This record gives sequence, structure tokens and C-alpha cells, in this order.
Amino acid sequence: MAFDDLRSFLETLDKEGQLLHVTDEVMPEPDIAAAANAAARMGESAPALYFDRVTGFTDARIAMNVHGSWANHALALGLPKETGTKDQVDAFIRRWADFPVKPERRDDPPWAENTMDGDEADIFQVLPLIRLNDGDGGFYIDKAAVVSKDPDDPGNSDKQNVGIYRIEVKGRRRLALQPVPMHDIAQHLHKAEEAGEDLPVAITIGNDPVISIVASTPMKYDENEYELAGALRGAPAPVTAAPLTGLPVPWGSEVVIEGVIEGRKREIEGPFGEFTGHYSGGRSMTVIRIDRISHRSRPVFEHLYLGMPWTEVDHLIAASTCVPLYQQLKKDFPEVQAVNAMYTHGLVVIVSTKKRYGGFAKAVGMRVLTTPHGLGYAATVIVVDEDVDPFNLPQVMWALSTKMNPAGDLIQIPNLPVLELAPQAAAPGIVDKLVIDATTPVAPDRRGNYGNQVHDLPETAAWLERLQQLAAGR
Amino acid sequence: MSAPTTVCPRCAHPAVENVFTSPVPGAWDVLQCRQCLYMWRTSEPARRTRRDAYPDRFKMTRADIDNAIEVPAVPPLREPAG
Repeated sequence: MAFDDLRSFLETLDKEGQLLHVTDEVMPEPDIAAAANAAARMGESAPALYFDRVTGFTDARIAMNVHGSWANHALALGLPKETGTKDQVDAFIRRWADFPVKPERRDDPPWAENTMDGDEADIFQVLPLIRLNDGDGGFYIDKAAVVSKDPDDPGNSDKQNVGIYRIEVKGRRRLALQPVPMHDIAQHLHKAEEAGEDLPVAITIGNDPVISIVASTPMKYDENEYELAGALRGAPAPVTAAPLTGLPVPWGSEVVIEGVIEGRKREIEGPFGEFTGHYSGGRSMTVIRIDRISHRSRPVFEHLYLGMPWTEVDHLIAASTCVPLYQQLKKDFPEVQAVNAMYTHGLVVIVSTKKRYGGFAKAVGMRVLTTPHGLGYAATVIVVDEDVDPFNLPQVMWALSTKMNPAGDLIQIPNLPVLELAPQAAAPGIVDKLVIDATTPVAPDRRGNYGNQVHDLPETAAWLERLQQLAAGR
Repeated sequence: MSAPTTVCPRCAHPAVENVFTSPVPGAWDVLQCRQCLYMWRTSEPARRTRRDAYPDRFKMTRADIDNAIEVPAVPPLREPAG
């Protein structure tokens, strides 16, 4: 089933036993972040958390860890909560085949009920903001879907963007936003700033769960996120025009903030504990002026804790990073079987492939580096044989243990681009990248002493099923 | 609740502004440093709110602010057409 807003998804999580309502009164800090941090340590079926008694607030509703486990990610996609990781990635791939599904324009969004304009706008009056990690420079909004258009081609809906970016609250109507140069909004801002203009943005908070997934999917510049949402939901995504900017925003959001990134202005921002598991330092970053806030009555603030991996963000961007890389590789190399790019948004990528001829696996590995997402990520690429499941790390380690000879299987390419947040870079934004060929050499590459590999017996699959039935019947 | 902090825990600047006060009176205030823009709630643990308990590794100086790199860099203005 398709969820049109966050509230209906929270109801489903509750029914499925995947929403934990914390009824005790808690402190805004450090309790809520610490609880969300702890939820991430509960394993594959960790619940979302819901708080509505927060010290000092009279009317706070805060949802954390909504995508924070494979069980919740499955429910977001309308799959049974027991669905395994690779099966979720496979479902994502199958549904992508329906892309693009045009969004549906829907009137009377519930967030139009309440508005604040100009100097009246005060984000603190609307959201029960909370701080996350000790070294953070302030209050962050880190799960909002931010909408912008290409200033040189504003009528082209394919070039519009819906993305999740880190946003720091700098004042009642002042924010900072981090446009990583590899991400689409940075291209929009670059064009606006070259022309000496501001970039209008709509920041949408508390969305249906598929909007959060597509907003964090590294799609191509001219691919429309709402059209992917339609494919993943199996129904057009409901959108509506934001009242001030006209930007297309989700119909079901809890809060819609409109304003501009002020052109050619920068101001100290951060640090912030990032998805890399490290703080970014204080940098001079963009400034957003809030011009209008629209919100539902009794809005739910959906927020995301991120820290030492894995936390919610890793689940949110796991499948959504694997799938576009798989699609792009498969297009050029049909031999590619599967792509696991779920470690730190694809700073490590594992690809399984058949080999056309000797050296082919290395070529596939190098192609990863030149995909749009690989440009800013993919610091290490591991290529494994077609019978190795890249989501099965013990199998990947077996491949590294036996198929990889450093003498000929490590390709280090100097001074390639990487996102500035990658802490291992020599200088921020520049890193050597590594392709590890952990496949069995094929002719004319005759290195190694492989002889014959042992495979599962032909009868093993049937026996596995039989044993599972026997075990279930005990 | 009045602000118990007289200086910014992070950069020790003396100018600190009250940004928001708890809807439940007396519970907490949100404060912001005018120099480094650090923002915090007075009810947070001492390690986040008091200069003497604030970890050295998170401290910031005027020089850190002045030398912070631009993300992203501001591009040159486009030449006018024609």
C-alpha cells in the first residue's frame, strides 16, 4: 500500500509492532538523541520511536528512527517486515523498471492550515528542535526533503531536485544548508550564484516514507525524484505547489518552509556529526532566509539521529545507493549481477560480475569510479565473482582471502574526486581510489593456481528447504 | 529562566543572545553565541553548556571562524552576454 503522509506510516509501524511510544517525560537533550542512538543498536528489527512528553514543551511530537532498521525500511516499501536485505534491494530494482511515474497534483494540502509570513516566521514556534551529538554546533534538521529548480531551466521538471541535506538552525528565520558539490542542489546554487541571484528552496519536513527514500537516492541530474517515488509506491506521488515559491512539494508533509539560499553569502556553520561517523569541521556555509512557514495543526517533527555507523541514516541510504549504481553498471555491462553500496553511502562498493575475458572485472571496477555517484564516493571498489553474493560479507571475505593477489589485483588511482566530508582524503575532496579485483582470473589472464572451485552440491538447495521446514516444525 | 552562562561554552565570547524560551515557563532557554553562532539549550549537560566543562576538541577560536573554508566556494559572476 502507498502511504500519503508520515502519520499513516506511523500508524502502520505501530500496528506492526515497529513503533515504540515512549510515554515517560524525557529531556530534549540528551535523552531523545541517546534513545535514537540506542535504538540503532537493537538490530535488524529496531523500532521507530515516538516522544510526546518532552520537558519544557507543551505540545511536542517527535518521531525518530522511522527508517532505522531493515524491518521499517521493508514496511516503508510496502513489503513484509521480515523481508531480507537483498530481497529489499531486488524489489527496489524491479520497481525502478516502472520509472518514471508522473506525480499527481492534489489540492488542499493539510499543511496549508497554518502559516507564518516574513518577520512572523519563527521555526522555534513550529518545531520542537533538539540537538544530537555533543560536538554539534547547534540544532539541526537532517531529514527534510529540500526542493529546488535549475535556475537556467526552471520549467524542466526533470532537472528539479528533491534531496536531503544537512540544515543548521541559525536563528528564528535563518538556516544554513550544506550543498555537497557532487549533489544536484549544488549545481542549482552554482548557476544562481554565477548570475548573482538567490536560489528559492522549499524545505519539507515529516514526509511519507518513500519521499525520504527517493530524496536520498543518488539519481542522475535530470531524473525526477517524484517520478521514482511513484514507481516505488506503485501509485503516483501526490504533490502540490508551495504557496510562495510555486515549487512542487509533497502534499502530505507536516511542515513546509519556503525561502531562499541567499546568493554569494557564506557564514560559519557546524561542526556536525556526519554520516561518515566523524564530525565535519566548522566551515563557511550557505545561508537560508525563511520567508514563509506552513504547517499542519499539531505537526509531528520527524528527525534523524546519526552517529557511529550503523544508525538510521545507514538504513535510509542503503538500498537507495545500491540500486542506481546497479542500474548504471548493468546498462554498460550486462554481466554485472549485484551491487552492494550500503557502506557509508557507497564509500565502499562491492560488485559481483561475470567475466567477459581476462581483465574484465578490473574494467567494471573502474567504471564504478566514473558513475555519477562514484565520482564523489567509491573510494574502494571490490569486484567479486558472479557466484559471490556481495551482500554476504563472509563470502566477500572468502573472495578476498583466496582470489586476490596484491601483485596484480590492486589498482590505485591517484588524486580522484571524493566528497569533502570523506575523512581519509589527503586534502579535503581529493583521494586515491582503490579497485580490488577479487575475481577468479579467466583467459587470457592465467595467474593463480585455482584448479577447480568447490560449489554447493546440486541437492543442497532442496535440503536447505527441507531442514528449514523440519526446524520450523520442531 | 535567566541564562546562567555568561560566555559562550565553545569560543568564550561574552555576547550571548536568548533565541527562544521554553513554552513551559522556567524550564530552559535556547541561547546563541554572537561570534561563533554556537546554539544550545540551557538544560543540556555541562559538557555542552559550560565553558569549563566544554571539551577542548570541540572549542572554536576567532581564527577558526576567519579561516573556515567555503562550502561550496562562491563562483565568479557570469560575464554579461554580448
